[in-house]
Order: sequence, then structure tokens, then C-alpha cells
Amino acid sequence: MNLLHPIESEEMSDLAVPKRKKRKGDFWIAVPFMLPALLGLGVFVLAPGIRGIILSFANYNVFTGQADFTGFANYIRMFQDVRFLNSFLVTMEYVLINIGIQTIASLFIAVLLHRFTKSHVIKGVVLLPYLISNVIVAMVWYWLMDYNLGFINSILDALSFHKFTFFSEQTAMPSIALINVWRHMGYTALLIFAGMQAIPKDVYEAASIDGASEWRIFRSVTLPLLRPVLAFVLVITVTGSFQIFDTIAVTTKGGPVMATDTFSIWIAREAWGNNDFGYASAISVFLMVLLSVIAFAQTKIMSANQSDLDR
Amino acid sequence: MKTFKKIAALAVAAALPLSVAVAAPAAHAASTTITYGLWDSNQLPGYQKCATAFTKKTGINVKITQAGWDDYWKSVNAGFLSGKGYDVFTSHLAFFPDFVANKQILPLDSFIKKDKVAVNTMYQPGLASLWKAPDKHQYGLPKDFDTIALFVNKKMADAGGYTAADLANLTWNPTTGGTYEKFIAHMTIDKNGVRGDEKGFDKTKVATYGIWMEGSGGGDGQTQWSFLAASDGWKVNDGPWNTNYHYDSPKLAETIKWWHSLSDKGYMPTFAQQNGVGWPDQLAAGKVAIASNGSWMTGYVNGLKNDKFELELAPTPVGPTGKRASMYNGLADNISAATKHPQEAWQWVKYLGSAACQDVIAGQAVVFPAIPEATAKAVKAMNAKGIDVSAFYTHIQNKTTFLFPIANKKTQINTIISPVMDGIMSGTKDVSALAAANAQIKALFK
Amino acid sequence: MSSNTENQLDDPQFRMSLRARIFGWIALGILCVITLFPIYWMLRTSLSTTRLLFENPTSILPSHFTWGGFERVLGLASEQQAIAEGGSGASINFGQAFINSVLVSTIITVCQVSFSAAAAYAFSVLKWKGRDVVFFIFVIALTVPGIFLLIPNFLFIRDLGLLNTLAGVMLPQLLMSPFAIFFLRQFFLGTNLSIVEAAVIDGANHFKIFWRIVAPLAMPQIVTLGILQFITSWNDYLWPFYVGSGDPSSTVLTVALGVFKAQTPQGSPDWAGLMAGALIAALPMVLLMIFFGRRIVGSIQASGVK
Repeated sequence: MNLLHPIESEEMSDLAVPKRKKRKGDFWIAVPFMLPALLGLGVFVLAPGIRGIILSFANYNVFTGQADFTGFANYIRMFQDVRFLNSFLVTMEYVLINIGIQTIASLFIAVLLHRFTKSHVIKGVVLLPYLISNVIVAMVWYWLMDYNLGFINSILDALSFHKFTFFSEQTAMPSIALINVWRHMGYTALLIFAGMQAIPKDVYEAASIDGASEWRIFRSVTLPLLRPVLAFVLVITVTGSFQIFDTIAVTTKGGPVMATDTFSIWIAREAWGNNDFGYASAISVFLMVLLSVIAFAQTKIMSANQSDLDR
Repeated sequence: MKTFKKIAALAVAAALPLSVAVAAPAAHAASTTITYGLWDSNQLPGYQKCATAFTKKTGINVKITQAGWDDYWKSVNAGFLSGKGYDVFTSHLAFFPDFVANKQILPLDSFIKKDKVAVNTMYQPGLASLWKAPDKHQYGLPKDFDTIALFVNKKMADAGGYTAADLANLTWNPTTGGTYEKFIAHMTIDKNGVRGDEKGFDKTKVATYGIWMEGSGGGDGQTQWSFLAASDGWKVNDGPWNTNYHYDSPKLAETIKWWHSLSDKGYMPTFAQQNGVGWPDQLAAGKVAIASNGSWMTGYVNGLKNDKFELELAPTPVGPTGKRASMYNGLADNISAATKHPQEAWQWVKYLGSAACQDVIAGQAVVFPAIPEATAKAVKAMNAKGIDVSAFYTHIQNKTTFLFPIANKKTQINTIISPVMDGIMSGTKDVSALAAANAQIKALFK
Repeated sequence: MSSNTENQLDDPQFRMSLRARIFGWIALGILCVITLFPIYWMLRTSLSTTRLLFENPTSILPSHFTWGGFERVLGLASEQQAIAEGGSGASINFGQAFINSVLVSTIITVCQVSFSAAAAYAFSVLKWKGRDVVFFIFVIALTVPGIFLLIPNFLFIRDLGLLNTLAGVMLPQLLMSPFAIFFLRQFFLGTNLSIVEAAVIDGANHFKIFWRIVAPLAMPQIVTLGILQFITSWNDYLWPFYVGSGDPSSTVLTVALGVFKAQTPQGSPDWAGLMAGALIAALPMVLLMIFFGRRIVGSIQASGVK
């Protein structure tokens, strides 16, 4: 199993051998199935995307519509820009903290939902944060974490502990990461939970009869069989994580002192604030290439772990 | 420019027959509706009144839309892109240069000339020049202005033994901080009740800060430090649109250095600690005693009165030059270049810039209108509401204002100077970094 | 295989150690507190008077209890009342914005999930050369930053004359979502192909197979996806703002609630109104979950895998 072919049941491979049906034959059947999606992709993603890529080689004023082609100037400027390294580092910082904690947390929650309680109420509770819009979540947490008036620090203060600055240069990004973990861990947990439903019960029976502890069961049974789902979840969450925007735009806005100036924030500022759509496009192109490489690498790595799956 | 002259010429040509139609009001002229945008919800009732009176007078309908600051500018930009935006919109000097550069607004010269609007004399001095671009065209009629003052918690000032007279006589210098720093220190109280200027003050256990830091102020420091630096004799450049920047001036360096020292001494929260809930709420909650800010916040902050907080305004301190100082910003309305009704739009702009409307706005006691008579009326109206705004008005009376720094390439300048200012205030950079930033800024214009 | 769904604690074979069970309960408790506290905080704030909100930062009760926030959201408060409480005096057409949101999100969800499911079928059950390459292009679509597409798509909608219409708001999302295709393909790949082959031999065309066999088997996943996409669409702000905010007929709820955000650059938002608005906005989704809750992954096992 790998990401591109996660669950190949025996039937599929059985069929592969004796059938004389031509593989290509399904192409024309596939076309009508794909048509609406391809249309959507083409019109609303590829067309503007390609246009944007072309404009990344120009100075483009979106209001006057004027484009002066400058070749690779935008790219050269980007690589020399002090904000490039900064964006790269702070975005990576965000992704690592966010994905790291979120994956562990959502795995844990998924296991709780799977092994411990079947309550629909708990499932609902867990998904509640995702129902609140990104922007509102950010505003509420920004207030809760405020140094002077936030609830958290007020309680710390009342208990005579030291107050904690959640949005200093060093702590701002981790704080933003945690806010997003809060919002997404339930959602991610449900995705993983969906994958857990595919694990046959007899595997758990066998492990239990053998007297395995919960942790052992998780480590040796659940986790390996979850690999394809985890791979899918990771591609989605990592790709989304790199594009973090709303939470920062509503709270720290790239500060303090560029500590939260991620790629998306930088792109938005160049596009709207500086009216430099060409430069913003160049940065976007870089981000897209980076993410595609990462997504591709992820799928390769995940498929390299196939051997664990067949027991 | 040519396109502008063309549009202006067309507008004038169209105006001739139209002005005849408008001059014969009501009757059978199909009424046009123009759209108008603004962001301050507090000013909405006033402008609604103006619009009703305007429609009665000219038969032109005005549809007013109000959106909060962020959304407002998004919708203005979206309107430029879609061609269906506001016909007239409240503009701001921060974005004005871009609007001119992108040819998104109409110059008003021909309208002004034709209708004989005394743009250079009928408003508070200096305001009209702010809205004149380097291309020598006038793009807006001043409608209101704002200055800076100290927003003080009266309850805390009284408890600290400071009378209104004391507050009106604060002095400052960058070395000792003058009576201004003493005031701030005295207003700072630590957890044990010890004041900042008393022995035994523990700056690690501050319960109430003396003064709030509202971010670093970037390149302008409109509400944060501009009034201090100016009272020290500093100027950011040599005039509106001028490119000879002076961020490398030792006067600025000593001002910022002093300002930052307030954090070190515990009188002001550190850069990291002030990130979060804004200053009006901190003031109202009793977390801080003083905040320097602009007159547009007066009504809102006054309304936050509770048992911990009551607003008292104090003028900015007198600096080494022997004078106070305050940045002086003026708003105006711009006409979108994409408007289909330039004539009607101009009528509305003219009305907004006239005594008829500005008197109405004055009565609302929210902002200071730009026509001097209306300003006086606004001061009266605010006094009637119980707010003594002499702290703002003194700069007009004593001519201690300096203009909002208007320039081309503002966003690029900010990209250079803001991180430096942020770094200085957060303690990771030294004031000497300002000189390097200034060189980079000057290089933008070579 | 139905026992996957039973509470495994009921099954004596799955007796967990006491230690594990205690750990589980504590973990569950902490999880609930962390998840629910900020939401309680939103409720507490929505029932407070905005003007006096910061009076007591450690209080967990509403500050000066009032229904004002909810009244302002539903358009029931007068301007004076609103300003007296420190709220925004601006008006909001809640009813229409709500209906618009329901229309937009429902139509997008139904169409998007259907078309994405069809595409997912083509990438999983059907086999043809280049299948995985085309699929990967959809995966790449996930990597494109939203802002990159916003302006060109805005101009395109403008050129179609669909600005300030619900159609314009819906269009980009209507036909597909890379996430939806990715998600559904995952589960379709587990389909028992012998059933498919049998149906083909019987003369059924793939459309029937998709509609009557494969999709129903993956219904729990499709419903889950539907709910998730509905939520995403319901909370979308930037695009509906740019395309629809110019006219009440095309303003959705998230955009309409923007009146409670900060009006001036240093002003605070109308917290009570904003929180009340956010909670009311979340209600339909809570109802959706209660209604479809049984169908969400958990009660029914995954499709077709033996």
C-alpha cells in the first residue's frame, strides 16, 4: 500500500492477471465522470494559476492592468530578500510545531473515540472547535492569552505565578500554532477515526487474547494499519499548514518583528499592500513548488514503509 | 495625466447641460443615486443627516455604506477592480499616494475652479495642501482633522494628586524625561502599592502601568512618539512628498531611546507584553493610566466609563523646543475615477466640504470638521457632552501642529523602517539601526 | 462485522486494565475542558455588555448580563441601545444573510461532493493510462495559495457579470474540491472489485455501478465529507466578501457579521455582538451534526474491505 494506491484488496490484484480487458478502455468511460471536476480545475485553478505564473515574470499593477516583463527579476529579488529566509524559517517553525502536536493529539483523540467511548456527544464536542470560523477562534484566543487582560494570565497572576507572554518574538509562533491545533485536532481526529473503522475487529481480539496492553495494541496493531490514512491526513494537513494565514492576519499580522511573517502573510502584503502582484506571484510559485515537492516526498516515504503493513 | 485631463474636460463639458438641469431642482429630472463609503460607524448618523439635506437641496440621492476599517479598504480596492465601487469614498492619506499613482481618483481642479470653492482659505491651515498631489492637482476637499493628546484615567490622576492644571503643564526632555516622565512614573503602581517614583518600586511586579505602548509606531509614530520627537525639533522629511528623510537624526534617536527606557524602568509594558487586547480596553480595565492617541477615539473611550475609569484629556508635553507638538492628519473624500456620475459626485463632495454639512457633523461631537467655524462648534458640542477637548484644540490655537507625513512609496518605506522600530522597541536592535534604515529609504528614491 | 461499532468495553474480551481506563477518563476530561472552555468563553462574552467587558478579567461569568449581543445580531436592537452597550450601531440583515448562507453552502456541498465523487470514481475504480498523473495534478491544486487565485478569479467573475450574485459566490467551489476528490478516492479504492466486474458482465454501465453500488457503500464517508465541506463553505469569508458584499442579496452570514468587527483601526470589535453572531452561525452546523451524526463515521463500517 502507498498513498497513491492505499488499499489494494486481493480482489483487485487477482483481477489484474487473468483479465484481457484493455486498461485504456476505461479512459472514455472515465471522461464524463471527470468532466465537471476537470472543468472546475481548469477554469478556477489552472487558468488563473498559469496566468499567475506568467505574471511572476513581470511587474504587474493589478489596478491599471499594466504588465512589464522583467524575466527572472522577481525571483532573484525574492531569494535575496531578507524576508525570504525569515518567512521560510518561521513557516517551517509553525508547520513543525503545529503538525507535530496536532498529529499526536488527533491520533490520541481518535484512539479515545475508537477504543474508549462510542459516545456521539463526545464526537460532537471534539468537532465543535472546527465549527467556529478561523477568524473568531483566533480573536478569542488572542484575548484569552493577552498578557494583561487575558483569562489565562489573570488566573496565573491570582495564583501568584509569573505571567506568561504568549506573543513575544519567541513565543508568538508557537502560540499561533497551538491555537490552530485547538481548532483542528478534532477534525483531524475524525479523519483518522474514519480510517480506523477499516481495521477488522479480529485483529484487536487476537491482541487482547494475547494480553497486550493498550499502548502495545496501539503501537503494533493500530498504528501500522493506519499508515495509509495517516499518509493522506499528513499530506492534507502539512499542505494546509504551510499556507497559514487567517489566524495571523487577525492577531499578530506578521509581527512582532517578523516573527510570524509566514509565506502567505508576505504574499498577501505584496499583492495588496504593495500592489506588487508580480512579486507576490513569484513567492506563490516558490511556495507551490515547495509544497508539491514535499507532497511528492511524503507519498514516496509512506510507500517505502509498505513492508510493515503485511503481517 | 492625459486621461485625466480628458475625463476632467468631459466632466466639465457634461456639466454644462447638467448644471442647468440641476439648477432646476425636483421637477422632472430623473434622480441619480450615487454611492458613498465610510468606515467609522460613529460618524454614520451625521453623514446620513447631511445626505438627507443634500437630497432635498439637489434631488440627488446618496446611498451611504459603512464598513469597518479592514473591510472598508478591501471593498474600496474591490470596487476599483470591479469598476462598481463607491462613487465617492472617505479617503485616507496613507493610501492617497497609491490612488493617485494608479489613477483611481479624479482630480477636482476644474470643478473647484468652476464652482469657485475657496479650497486654500476656507479650511484649517495646511489641510488642503495634504490633498494636493505632486502633480499639482487637488484631489480632495478637507473634511475633518485630528490631533494627538494624552488619554488619562482621571480616577488614577486624582488618586495620584495630579490636577487638571498639572496635566496641562507637563514638560519633557529626552535626558531626564521632565515632569512627563515623573507623571508616568507616579502613575505606575506595583503589586505592593509602591509607585514608580517611590523607593522600593518593583518593576517586575507591576500592577498598573503608567503609560501604554501601542506597538512601535513604525515609521510615523503618529500616536506613539511623533509628538515627542517633534517637540524636540525633529522632522521626518523636508515637507509633504519630500524625499530627504531624517530617520538618522540624533533627535529621533534620543527620543526613541528615552521612550524605550520607559519599558526598562517598568513604567510601560514591553513590546511583547502589549501584544493583544488594545489600549482603550486596557485603559478602561484599569491596567494602565495613560495612553497617547488621536481625537477620533475620544467618543469611544469616553463611553467606556466605569467605576475604575473616567476619561480626562491632557495636552502633549512641552518639549526642548519650548513648544508642544502634535501630528495633524486630515481626511478628505475622493471621487472614484470609475464613477458614472462625476458631476453628481462632485456636488456631494462639495457639499461635504461646505459649512452646511460640516456644521451638522460638528453637532454630532465625534470629530473636528475642517472649517474653522465648524471646528469651534464641534468643540462646544463636545464640551456639552462633558468632554473637555482643549487638549486637542490647543494645537490649532497655538499652531503647534505638524503635517502627517505623506509620501510616495510609503509601503516600501514602511517595509524598511517598521521592523527596525519594532526591533528597537522589543530590545533586539539599537537606535543606531535607524541610520542604516534611513540610507536604505533614501536609496529608494535614487 | 457489525461488532466494530459496539462499545468495546461491553465486550468482555476487551477488558482494559484499570490503569488504562483511568488514564482514558482523565484524558477525556482534559480534552473536554480544553475544547469547551473557549466556547464557553464565547457564550459568556455574548451575554455580556461590550462596554464593560474588561472590568473583571478573572470572572468566568458574563460581565453585566444582557441579551444585547443577540439582539444586535438578529437586528432587534435600536441604534441607541446598541451604542449604549458599546456595540456597533450598524444594521445587519440577519435573516437574508442566513438564508443566503444556507443556499450557498447547501448547493456547493451537494454539487461539489457529487462531482468530486464522480471524479474520485474515475481515479479509483476505473483504470486507465495516466490516471495517477491526472490525479496528482488535483493534489497539486491543494498547494496553490488562495490569494494567488483570488484576484484572477475575481476578475473572471466580474467579466462574467456575476459580481454581487450568489452564483458568483458559489462558482469556484461548485464543481470540485481537490480535498474531496482525494478523500473519496481513498475510500473508493477499497471497493470490492469483483462486484464491479460482475455488474459489468451483467451489462451495467459504470454510471449505474457508481450510483447504485459503489457510492452507497461509501455513504458514511460521503456524508462525513459533505458535513466537513458544508462547514468549510459556511465559514468561508474572503471570497464571499469580495464577490458578494456589495449587495444584500448576495451577502452571506460570515460577511454580514463583519459589522461587529472593529470599526476604526484601533477600536475593539463589538465583542458581545461578534460572539453572539459566531454562536448563532455555528448552530446550523450543530443541527446538521445531530441530524446526520449517526451516519458519520463511527456507526457504520468502512465500505467493502473484507
